[in-house]
Amino acid sequence: MSDGRIPQIGVVFPRTDALTKVSGEEKFAADYYGRDLVWAGVKRAGIPHARLTSLDVDQARLVPGVIAVLTHRDIPGENRQGVVRKDQPVLVDDKVRHAGDALALVLAESKPALAAALNSIRCELEPLPGVFDPEQALAEGAPLVHEDNPGGNLLLKAEVKTGETESAWEECAAVIEACFETPHQEHCFLETESGWAKVESDGKIVIVASTQTPFRDRTEVAQVLGRDHTGIRVIAPYAGGAFGGKDGISVQSLLALAALHSQSRPVKMWWDREESFSAGTKRHPARMYYRLGAKADGTLHAVEVRLYLDTGPYDHLGGAVMTQAVEHSGGPYRIPHAWLRGWSVYTNNPIGGAFRGFGVAQVTAAMEQMMDLLAVKLDLDPIQLRLKNAIRRGDKNCVGVTLTGSAGLSECLEKMAEHPGWQERQTWIRAAGPLKRRGVGLAAVMQAVGYGPFVPDVANAKVELTLEGKIRVYSGVVDMGQGNAATNLQIAGSILSQTPAQMELILPDTDRTLPSGSASASRCTYTFGNALIGAAQALKDRILQRSADLLMAAGPDELVLVSGLVRRVTTGQEIPLAVLAKWLTDAERIAVYRFRAPVAQERPAKDDQVRLHGLPHCIFSYGAHLAMVEVDELTGAVEVKGYLAITDSGRVLNPQTYEQQIHGGIVQGLGYALSEDFRVTDGLIQTSDLATYIIPTAMDVPDMLSIPVEINEPTGPFGLKGVGEVAMNGPLPAVANAVAAACGKRCYSFPLTSERVLQVMTAS
Amino acid sequence: MKINFVLNGREIELTVPSDIRVVDLLREELDLTGTKESCGSGECGACTILVDGQSRLSCLMLAAQLQGREVTTIEGLAGDKGRHPVQEAFVSAGAVQCGFCTPGMVLAAVDLLERRPDPSRSEIREGLSGNLCRCTGYQKIVDAVEMAVHREEG
Amino acid sequence: MREVFLPRTLDELWDLLLRRPEAAIYAGGTDVLVKLRAGLISASGLICLERIEELRGVRDQGDEVYIGAATTHRALLADPVIQEYFPVLIQALSVLGSPPVRNMGTIGGNVVTASPAGDTLPPLYVLDAEVEVRWGDGAKRLPLSQFILGPGKTSLGPGQLLTGVRLKKSADYNVHHFEKVGQRKALAIAVVSLAAVLKVSDSGRIEKARLAWGSVGPTVIRSVEVENALEGRIISRNTLGRAAALAQTAVSPIDDIRASAAYRCTVAGNLLLRLINYAR
Repeated sequence: MSDGRIPQIGVVFPRTDALTKVSGEEKFAADYYGRDLVWAGVKRAGIPHARLTSLDVDQARLVPGVIAVLTHRDIPGENRQGVVRKDQPVLVDDKVRHAGDALALVLAESKPALAAALNSIRCELEPLPGVFDPEQALAEGAPLVHEDNPGGNLLLKAEVKTGETESAWEECAAVIEACFETPHQEHCFLETESGWAKVESDGKIVIVASTQTPFRDRTEVAQVLGRDHTGIRVIAPYAGGAFGGKDGISVQSLLALAALHSQSRPVKMWWDREESFSAGTKRHPARMYYRLGAKADGTLHAVEVRLYLDTGPYDHLGGAVMTQAVEHSGGPYRIPHAWLRGWSVYTNNPIGGAFRGFGVAQVTAAMEQMMDLLAVKLDLDPIQLRLKNAIRRGDKNCVGVTLTGSAGLSECLEKMAEHPGWQERQTWIRAAGPLKRRGVGLAAVMQAVGYGPFVPDVANAKVELTLEGKIRVYSGVVDMGQGNAATNLQIAGSILSQTPAQMELILPDTDRTLPSGSASASRCTYTFGNALIGAAQALKDRILQRSADLLMAAGPDELVLVSGLVRRVTTGQEIPLAVLAKWLTDAERIAVYRFRAPVAQERPAKDDQVRLHGLPHCIFSYGAHLAMVEVDELTGAVEVKGYLAITDSGRVLNPQTYEQQIHGGIVQGLGYALSEDFRVTDGLIQTSDLATYIIPTAMDVPDMLSIPVEINEPTGPFGLKGVGEVAMNGPLPAVANAVAAACGKRCYSFPLTSERVLQVMTAS
Repeated sequence: MKINFVLNGREIELTVPSDIRVVDLLREELDLTGTKESCGSGECGACTILVDGQSRLSCLMLAAQLQGREVTTIEGLAGDKGRHPVQEAFVSAGAVQCGFCTPGMVLAAVDLLERRPDPSRSEIREGLSGNLCRCTGYQKIVDAVEMAVHREEG
Repeated sequence: MREVFLPRTLDELWDLLLRRPEAAIYAGGTDVLVKLRAGLISASGLICLERIEELRGVRDQGDEVYIGAATTHRALLADPVIQEYFPVLIQALSVLGSPPVRNMGTIGGNVVTASPAGDTLPPLYVLDAEVEVRWGDGAKRLPLSQFILGPGKTSLGPGQLLTGVRLKKSADYNVHHFEKVGQRKALAIAVVSLAAVLKVSDSGRIEKARLAWGSVGPTVIRSVEVENALEGRIISRNTLGRAAALAQTAVSPIDDIRASAAYRCTVAGNLLLRLINYAR
């Protein structure tokens, strides 16, 4: 920031990217145009399941201003892509499996020509019976989404069993059973999927995309084009929001393909909001059957969970999301006997994918309502019930993994119990106005950090002393709004004692930065931060060592690094970094460091596929949430009047960015809880735009209070754990518990629209 | 058609298709990509600009409508002395995350403060209610507008 | 490319309408330009009314107030005459769309769009608004309720334009009430709305009541039966409850993406119970 301070850890460091964003200068992927631009767009199927019998693009090719019309026949490499399983065509060749499938790619001189050409494409689609419910999809005789999938419509099943789940139930004093349903959730990042591509004079294809995964995209695009990944460069500017929805391919392969046919002119593709809804991924809808048993004193004893997650027609990350849901399905509690199962199932609905929480938002919604149902049944205080069972360091979690990392759930709950929001709730509830009912609800949350045991959770940081004497930080992980790019400057600046003005930032670029994995899984600052500390420290050591040599000092102990220069404190001599840089070789000016996140050693699932999909983790963030709601008796409308989140995600590097993540997660969670009613009928999206899919405005959410419980995580950079996702998981159950307390009755389907709440409230 | 208008303090004359949307004119013809598009149908506010000082949705305006108007986009908000107080406050308060709603949000805040120089928090929320943000939860944006008010006063 | 016209006077407009009868007319663009993008309008030309001075502004004409059709919602919200005499309209305008939509959208647009969910319509119905329709060489006045024929349908003929809305000042009503039930608090389309103007005596008796519901029928719904059930009675839970039951039979909502007919029906009645807040 312009105040010229050397960043420090633990204090507010205003985000450097805010300066260019607030002035409108920052170029997002959607902001790339350029001279001689070619517009690319896609013809989409519009029906959920059909055999493609013919595709007539001749008319479209004749539309004035059309440059090319491409179909699957024009794909030089493999026409299948996917993060884990390659089951999604770039352009449909045999079958349409959801309404948003792409059939043909058009390149045109202008947007009107593009639209006209897309309208002139004639396709014959022979409709096939579709399957739209995950449980029905698993039934015998259900239409198959992928005829060649050995499991039928089953993508992946995950199962974990601990203890004695048959006999344990007899030992319970109270048993609760319930089924919960959560809907699709649309990411609604403000910048819809967009990108720009061009073939350079050396033949290299450069793609600028709004993506969370530039390195993985490069590999996927290379496979589609049938060429070596070195011929492709992916650049990832700041993304205009992502939340998991840009984890994987959207426009990238199509753009690369288009670039091959644009005669070296730049090509732009930018999905409009409706296309983003139709073709983009969504949070997986879930049906969750729960059975939870406890002793009379509230000690949890047994849990049985069956989760059905609808992944739509493609894996994308459906297997991994379901596996993560299973891992978190018993909540942040000690439960000795657990039988946890999940099914990720193919349907002809929109594509399920990564979304902040990654399966955990769904199961927390269920489990935390189970906890309240249990508290009512046993007549126990809901905080005390959670505290009694809260997982602590050294405990085994519900999948039997011993927690070696920090675990601050108890501290969060204890703080919550003392907070006036909880202590004085009865007074607040009694003060409800006429025709209003009030309730206060809780949820305990957790979220794993990182990829899990199999896929290496690795980051490679690179820091350079430039010839101009600046410190250049190469960000390996995309900043989609979380602020990790600025955090990287904060980390490097604090270690190397440089002000922001003395530093430069290179955003992820497969030609310039080093592969460091996806911007996802609450891992960005945890994993990359650890790598960056190593690289910055190495560069600092080298700078001091070489300065000592130059100044003929006894050793680096005589020297300190301050902004822009090295000072020999014993004599007052100084070397500007710009001078020092010229004494170093190019290789010496650069320090790199690789970090791989620790993994759990247990193997709770018998099936290796489940391990491959990420189970188990060993580091978790935790939290306790409280929602204060008011329900209108006449309309069923729920208003959240107050919200408190107490979070353990380790030490806080920058209180401002930390709070941004908590606030943002809460409000995205409040939308999930209350208004984001994504509707799909027979595979067709009914809520197809921002007028019908209702995300919160500034008027729909309260002022929130975020309190960090800062417990040092020994493996984290400066003691930090990931905070990007954990807040997302609390609002739905906290609000649901509050509404149930207010109404005396509970909804089991979400979101809690006014209509659902009024119906439940007035049902006899 | 030929249109004349004042853009970010400078009079300009352009020959444009009369039915080109203002958002496209700004982004594609004038390289003012600070004005964003996110829904194209007036539901998100990302394309907000100021026309004669009032916030307008540039996705629901056609170029012909700019004739004779005074237009301010985010690029033209800063004055001689640097960033507008609202921009400054957005940076300090941590009101910017992904930043894609930010230009529209800033201009909506400027319009609000023009109408209501000392708004309450709920008036701020109301004034920004045509601008969707998916990152911040709005709280720090409301904080920023409050901060801008106090800075202008101080 | 579509031609866009910005006539500056009504005379210019009449001339244009003769030359380009197929052109789509808009003022704020918050409805027509959305439909254009969605491909629901295929007009080859567009006529924008924003530059016609005669169509803008509020004129206090003694017993009556005239509102030019192209007056923006924002201008109405800030207008002291509207604030003084028609609080029920102000309440509705303040929850219409969002600030930029209110800066652009106009009252004439809201009327001509004739959506059952149009936020200004229930207040205009309870205020017995009349509209002024003009054409090249003629003009007429008619009640709003006769102007709007159905969803998206009005009695406007070719070459005709809605030029203004007329409201009678009435000292009768001491309660102006508007409630909109939407899916969120801003940028919301009404799921159900209720406008009510009441004359309530010092003892809490309803001497006169005018009620209108939005989004629960093909047009705004009024019910003399429900009004009769209130008039002459003290505001009480019982009275309102009986009226609510009647209201539920008076409305004829449909299911749509925002809510079911059953919900709309229930809430249309329930909203009357909010009037308990005006009990003396």
